[in-house]
Amino acid sequence: MSQPAHGNGLEIEGLTARVGEFTLRHAALSVRPGRTLALVGPSGAGKTVLLEMIAGFRAPDAGRIRLDGIDLAGKPPEDREIGFVFQDYALFPHLTVLENVRFGLRARGIADGGAARGALSQLGIEHLAQRRPGTLSGGERQRVAVARVLAASPRLLLLDEPLSAVDAPTRDDLREELRTVLSGSGVPAIYVTHDQAEALAIADDLAVLIGGALRQSGPAMDVFTKPVDATVARFLGMEMMADAGRAGSDRARVGGAVLVLGGPLPDTAFVLCYRPEDVELAPPGGPCAVNAFDLRVTRITPAGPCDRLTMDGVLRLTAIMLRRTRIALRLEVDSAVRATVPPSALHAIAE
Amino acid sequence: MAGALTAARGRAPSAAPRVLFLATLWCLGGLLVAFIMLPLVRLTLATSPGELVDAGQRSDVRAAIRLSLQDAAVTAVVAAFLGVPLAFILSRSVFPGQRFVEAIVDLPLAVPHSVVGIALLFVFGRRGWIGAPADHIGISFFGTQWGIVAGMLFVSAPFMVGSVRVALDAIDPRIERAARSLGATRAYAFRRVTLPLAARGIMTGLVLTYARSISEFGAIVILAYYPMTAPVKAYDLYLQNGLDASAAVSVLLLIVTLSTFVVFRALASGQVRPLALR
Repeated sequence: MSQPAHGNGLEIEGLTARVGEFTLRHAALSVRPGRTLALVGPSGAGKTVLLEMIAGFRAPDAGRIRLDGIDLAGKPPEDREIGFVFQDYALFPHLTVLENVRFGLRARGIADGGAARGALSQLGIEHLAQRRPGTLSGGERQRVAVARVLAASPRLLLLDEPLSAVDAPTRDDLREELRTVLSGSGVPAIYVTHDQAEALAIADDLAVLIGGALRQSGPAMDVFTKPVDATVARFLGMEMMADAGRAGSDRARVGGAVLVLGGPLPDTAFVLCYRPEDVELAPPGGPCAVNAFDLRVTRITPAGPCDRLTMDGVLRLTAIMLRRTRIALRLEVDSAVRATVPPSALHAIAE
Repeated sequence: MAGALTAARGRAPSAAPRVLFLATLWCLGGLLVAFIMLPLVRLTLATSPGELVDAGQRSDVRAAIRLSLQDAAVTAVVAAFLGVPLAFILSRSVFPGQRFVEAIVDLPLAVPHSVVGIALLFVFGRRGWIGAPADHIGISFFGTQWGIVAGMLFVSAPFMVGSVRVALDAIDPRIERAARSLGATRAYAFRRVTLPLAARGIMTGLVLTYARSISEFGAIVILAYYPMTAPVKAYDLYLQNGLDASAAVSVLLLIVTLSTFVVFRALASGQVRPLALR
């Protein structure tokens, strides 16, 4: 399958739009060719509005969208060469799978030349060519939707929560497949999801959109481990420590405990946060270690294959661990436990 | 035993009102069905197979039936040609005065049909706004098939616009957006995606428009008494020869109109497929 030559990918500057009561403010981000950016944020954050503006379904009030160096202002959706995979796929129910995949070529008056069949085989769904969308499973529809946009050789892919309508077992397989297809296509892509695990699994870069504002973007792991503010940290599943005070250049006081950080504290007011999966648990007592506290388990909440443990004592900590590990450690409510927060896992974020 | 009694006693107070409620529904609903069926049954009983055959052999009756079928079909096609674009605009756009336009589309449902005929005569009559210039190029609405179609279209157009609008509103807008982002212009997406997906609604519109048109009497009798459509012919026979004489022709009309309606409705509902809907 021929791919268009890729220039600079997608560049967005100062994008602003008012939709009823909601406002998207000065959004700026870029997606380089061959990279997938996961756009995450709670529902109502403006993720879909942003995609609709990029695709040309909605005009921004201000700002600029450039694709491969070309300003998209005033270009209708059909002239943007952007593939859009919708949340529930929006397949054409009156056409067969092959006709769906061929639609983009026909609409542009391009001879097929095997592109449609090629896209079907890339997604492993050649055997579905003559079926109608109504007879397909959720996973099959998702593959057809991806094949349909790839066959049209887009310059940019937009995927709006593409796995949200698929059941959990299929989702993991599809996620792997999508990752392979996206990285293999060389086409820059924006992948919208509200699931941070999915975002990390599929994306190279991560952008966090909350309340109409793009709070942070960058390489996925950087954003995930070093959120720039408390709102992003909270959305990405970090735990906050209430009322942290300064106890030295790299030390903070929380409740009756002093914690050592991996780096210096900021000069301004700050909040302390950590990921609950970074907290290490061991039987109480034992050798003295940095940031190790003897606490008591006050609550255990199941979370999938893991358990979430809340512990109180000189300070309150939350930890996440595999359930079988917890059972092996004989940790129950009221158990005494030694909890350690490695200094490198503690982050001070300026408020 | 004691337990069963308690259970029965426990159920009894709720069962009686439920039966009463259902019985009331059936009685009232049944009355309406009987009200519709009774005159048609009585009409059918007023004639015999022999009289029906005689009526079917009369050339004036056959001409009237043929005219009704033909003009109702033409009206349905014209209504689709003009009504589908209007329904699309009303379904997909937001514009000032939209409510007003929607009200205008439904207006013919509320206007007495004799009034429709008189109003149409003012516009399409020989000295009417449209009738006068049309007369110059040799088109007359008064007493012609043009007039019959005009009368039928006026009273039946809301059914076309309404049916198609419902079908268009049911199409997920993301499907049209998907077509656009794949490179389809508005017109291409309309032709290849919207129209096929609204096909069932357009078929329903055609059937309802046809049925409303073939049964129209009030507007047509004023605008175009001649050439006689089937309803006008039945009325004419009743005026000239009385109730019993008009029965055979009326039953014949009933059979023809009902059978075409039933066939078209079956086509529209998808029970019979005339061609593979693509």
